[in-house]
Amino acid sequence: MKPAPFDYARPADWPAALALLAAGARPVAGGQSLGPMLNLRLALPERVADLRHLPDYAGVSMQGETVRIGAGTTHAAIEDGVVPGRLGEILAGVARRIAYRPVRNRGTIGGSFAHADPAADWVAVLPALPGHAIALGPQGERRIPLAEFVLGVFETALRSDELLRALELPALPAATRFGHWKFCRKPGEFSKATACVLALPGAVPTAVLAALDAAPLVIADASALLADPTAEAARITATLALDDPWRAALARTALRHAAEAVR
Amino acid sequence: MTPTPSKGVGASLRRKEDARFLHGRGRYVGDIRPAGTLEVAFLRSPVAHARLLGVQKPDGGLVFTAADLPGIAPIRANSALPGFRASDQPALAQGKLRHVGELIAACVAPSRAEAEDLAAACLLDYEALPVIADMLAARAPGAALIHEHWPDNAFLETRRDEDLSDLDACAAAKVHRRLRTARQHMAPLEGRGVLAEWDPRLEQLIVTTAAQMPHVTKTGLAECLGLDEGQVRVVAPDVGGGFGYKGILLAEELVCAALAMRLGRPVRWIEDRLEQLTANANCREHYYDVTAWADEQGKLLGVEVDATVDAGAYSLYPFSACLEAAQIGSIFPGPYTLPRFRFRTVSACTNKPPILPYRGVARTGVCYAMETTLDALARQLKLPPEAVRQANLVPPDAMPYRNLVGKVFDSGDYPEALRRAVAAVDVAAVRARQAAGEAVGFGLSVFCEQGAHGTSVYHGWGIPFVPGFEQAQARFTPDGVLELRVGLHSHGQGLETTLAQVAHEILGVDPARVRLVHGDTALTPYSTGTWGSRAMVMAGGAVAEACRQLGERALAIGAALLQTDRASVRLVAGQVVAGDAAVSLDQVARTWFRSPQNLPTDVDRGGLEVTAGYRPDPDTGTHSYAAHAVVAKVCTETGMVTLEQYVIVEDGGVLVNPMIVDGQVLGGVAQGIGTALYEEMPFDTEGQPLAGTLADYLLPGATEVPDIRIDHMETPSPWTRFGQKGLGESGAIGPPAAIVNAINDALAPLGAEVLDLPATPARVLAALTKAGRA
Amino acid sequence: MSITLAVNGALATVAAEPRTHLADLLRGELLLTGTHLGCEHGVCGACTVEVDGAPARSCLIHAGACGGASVRTIEGFAEDAVMAALRESFSAEHALQCGYCTPGMLVVARDIVLRLPDADEARVREELAGNLCRCTGYRGIVRAILGVLAARRAAA
Repeated sequence: MKPAPFDYARPADWPAALALLAAGARPVAGGQSLGPMLNLRLALPERVADLRHLPDYAGVSMQGETVRIGAGTTHAAIEDGVVPGRLGEILAGVARRIAYRPVRNRGTIGGSFAHADPAADWVAVLPALPGHAIALGPQGERRIPLAEFVLGVFETALRSDELLRALELPALPAATRFGHWKFCRKPGEFSKATACVLALPGAVPTAVLAALDAAPLVIADASALLADPTAEAARITATLALDDPWRAALARTALRHAAEAVR
Repeated sequence: MTPTPSKGVGASLRRKEDARFLHGRGRYVGDIRPAGTLEVAFLRSPVAHARLLGVQKPDGGLVFTAADLPGIAPIRANSALPGFRASDQPALAQGKLRHVGELIAACVAPSRAEAEDLAAACLLDYEALPVIADMLAARAPGAALIHEHWPDNAFLETRRDEDLSDLDACAAAKVHRRLRTARQHMAPLEGRGVLAEWDPRLEQLIVTTAAQMPHVTKTGLAECLGLDEGQVRVVAPDVGGGFGYKGILLAEELVCAALAMRLGRPVRWIEDRLEQLTANANCREHYYDVTAWADEQGKLLGVEVDATVDAGAYSLYPFSACLEAAQIGSIFPGPYTLPRFRFRTVSACTNKPPILPYRGVARTGVCYAMETTLDALARQLKLPPEAVRQANLVPPDAMPYRNLVGKVFDSGDYPEALRRAVAAVDVAAVRARQAAGEAVGFGLSVFCEQGAHGTSVYHGWGIPFVPGFEQAQARFTPDGVLELRVGLHSHGQGLETTLAQVAHEILGVDPARVRLVHGDTALTPYSTGTWGSRAMVMAGGAVAEACRQLGERALAIGAALLQTDRASVRLVAGQVVAGDAAVSLDQVARTWFRSPQNLPTDVDRGGLEVTAGYRPDPDTGTHSYAAHAVVAKVCTETGMVTLEQYVIVEDGGVLVNPMIVDGQVLGGVAQGIGTALYEEMPFDTEGQPLAGTLADYLLPGATEVPDIRIDHMETPSPWTRFGQKGLGESGAIGPPAAIVNAINDALAPLGAEVLDLPATPARVLAALTKAGRA
Repeated sequence: MSITLAVNGALATVAAEPRTHLADLLRGELLLTGTHLGCEHGVCGACTVEVDGAPARSCLIHAGACGGASVRTIEGFAEDAVMAALRESFSAEHALQCGYCTPGMLVVARDIVLRLPDADEARVREELAGNLCRCTGYRGIVRAILGVLAARRAAA
């Protein structure tokens, strides 16, 4: 189970990274998703471009009331509290349940989001949050709302000549409520249903239902779900017309638990 | 015997082998790579059933098909049971492909990655044939034939006829169930692997391989390659878990051996997880159609079972395709006094990888079928589950007991084990929670494990390799170190420690001064190997006997050195003692090897080296037994099952090393939990395996295995050297039955019942849906 | 390509194809065979080593990404007091049988002890979820780690 041959490039700056991308290189961050695909020969890139050494790729900075999270920030760093405030608490709670610690030590929030595996944790949570993904392309930076970033299974709003450089989110008030529930038979297993609900004080609550073998379902106004979690979770799930009754039950349960956690 | 219980039989001595593993100094086959080694990747069948028309090789690569490696005889594991149809498993496919992953060509390169490049560059030409992906479909009239010269797709059918037609009229209860256990993988952390070298000076093939049974592998290699057995040496280094998976002769071993002879270079193949999951041997897939009748106390009046085992495409060497199914008839009565019994078993041939015996072999499936049936009877009779079992268990005063199919139980108090297990769980609390509407349940299983059974049993089961006497060598080196040589092999059981404890028990030599040589056919007596829970009984007995004889020789020399007679000396703590005078075994050894002028004139000229053999008499095997008690909670929303309590009462006879015994039981239970709740290799209708990674094929982790309590009874076996019993497989037998019984106890108020393994959340939810409760 | 990295405190320069993963590089080029391969897709944990001070899957880091890294394998903890305590505790609690998962298990165990000094049994089990053992049923491993944690808390 060894990868097919590929070339390796380590761009020192962003223009070099974009040039490699334009030349057909496959970008890789922590490699925790691409690595198995390479070993299994499910991914056959001619060249990979290792983004880990780009300036400011990893790390968190505050710009006024905005938190900028470098795309190369690892899950473990987030778990350990690199993001400040209430937002950091929420993200840390999600990060801790991603795969296993040795995987979290390498895997990155941006790499995972850009990979857009439908079962991935950030794919199921970030679309519920206010903020933007910062894409970098030949024409410069472009801001994509988090709720509009993931378009489908392994499909994002990134153009083929763009890289995900950072995430920018507003700092969240301490009173922000967040509910998150995912179903795995064992820790680290790919989720079979994930839901989260975010309620900012004085704002319309949002929700996401994910791990559906499809793009995450973003619920821009989750007020009804919060008002009656059981009935609304059932109604929303029914609209998806999922084939597998068990997966439908899990989706229903995930939504209900996530909603009840913020009530 | 010497009075030093702290290191002998019964001591929880820390393992001698730990130090090297804890420092990363274990040496597994994948760690061994002589200069000039070539690596092999296999081109494997992408389809389950096809006629192979041709292979187009890439230019310039070393690729070998069957036509390029003539002279390898197919692997043929016959059975002496009447009606058995043997299959010919070619080392490399010839003409037909019978399962996904079957070997088609060996691709050879300096690195594994380059060898895989070659395999990826080969083009296959084949004509697809109808696929038999299910064991019941294999039996349907008109099914496509996997081996075309057979009249149907059955390796073997066995039966016992007894007319049970009167039972309907007289029974207070009758239950009928159809049950399935999933196809599984043994999944040792280390896969298979083989390094083959040809030594031109010795004209000998040296095969280093991850194997449980190096001598049997040697015999199989010699047979298929047309070599005499002296021309083959098999070395099994440290083996990273086995559980049965490393108990067969592999086509890969044959191909690597033939390539090493052809190319004059070391040739190596290391199995990766993808190959293990999708191409190599599986285990466990059973189907049961069970009917049972009982009186109002739950006493069984009779059982009828029709069992099918999905044996896959070929009969594996040496255990054959029918060991599992043929065993079902003889072990189905379990620990119970079943009065009447009718069965039929079928070993079905399908387009799936062959199966081989996994820890527990057929007992796990049989225990599942019998114990869930007993619970169904209990529910129908409104009796507690323990009451139905107590009405049927073999009582202690009947031991040794011979049951209606001739199985002989050696010793034990089965009802007491059950009583203790029930008492260890607060059943009343479970009942109270149930009354409050909680989906929580209590489940039991009781079973016995025949182990170390010998010639008389296996001869009857027809396997081509009947175990006989086990031998061990014991000898002193000139510095007084005791060296033991045995032909079976440890793959995690700690034999370097436990056999040293046995030697210490007899000779008083400090276990630190005992070396075990095993895992090399050139250095050890022939043995059928480590399987069937036999190592501690058989090798333990053989080592004890060899040490006893060696002790006699040492005593004679020691007496002479002490200038007294044999009758005046005895062995105490590694010394020959006469009154206040003593001479150490080190001095005895030095005298024999280096100062023979000081030996008595009538010394035994065999010296300080003994080979002795052993077999219990009778050799019908030991029966360890256990009761498992489980409390499980079911989430009726998701179908998720949580194990809240797990208690085991185990009787393995006299325990040589209780710490190691607990390790065997706990490890077995973890695997049994996998069988019960997680592990399943699904195939689609085209015979394609659907779980290619450990993210799909779920193995229990630290969060899935609860903290298990073990209570030991120690009823000695009357037939073994120290009263010890085989129990290496026991832990893996009971869990599916006990866990599913607990689940069904939780589901019973909702009218739902789980029948198939594993009891995944999807299956539990489906059962609830069927009952209208989800 | 030529890669220079620090392994167990010493600089090593090796030639490898970019597709070679760190585990093969350690085992094949540097003959550090204490790192084992169990799945090569990041699930089993047998190949876990310390990379730049934190446990990582050596099967998922390919050669190019190793350049400049600092790697510590099971062979590199000879002077480490926590590892010594874990080794002692693993043996006392019968936390290993075949030994194949043990090196990866120990690297993760050491990380748990240092990073989570207050971990209880449930947390230890959760943290071990990424390291599979097919032999022991985990009880000995969990007890061994809890024992070292308790001893360190008592000594603090």
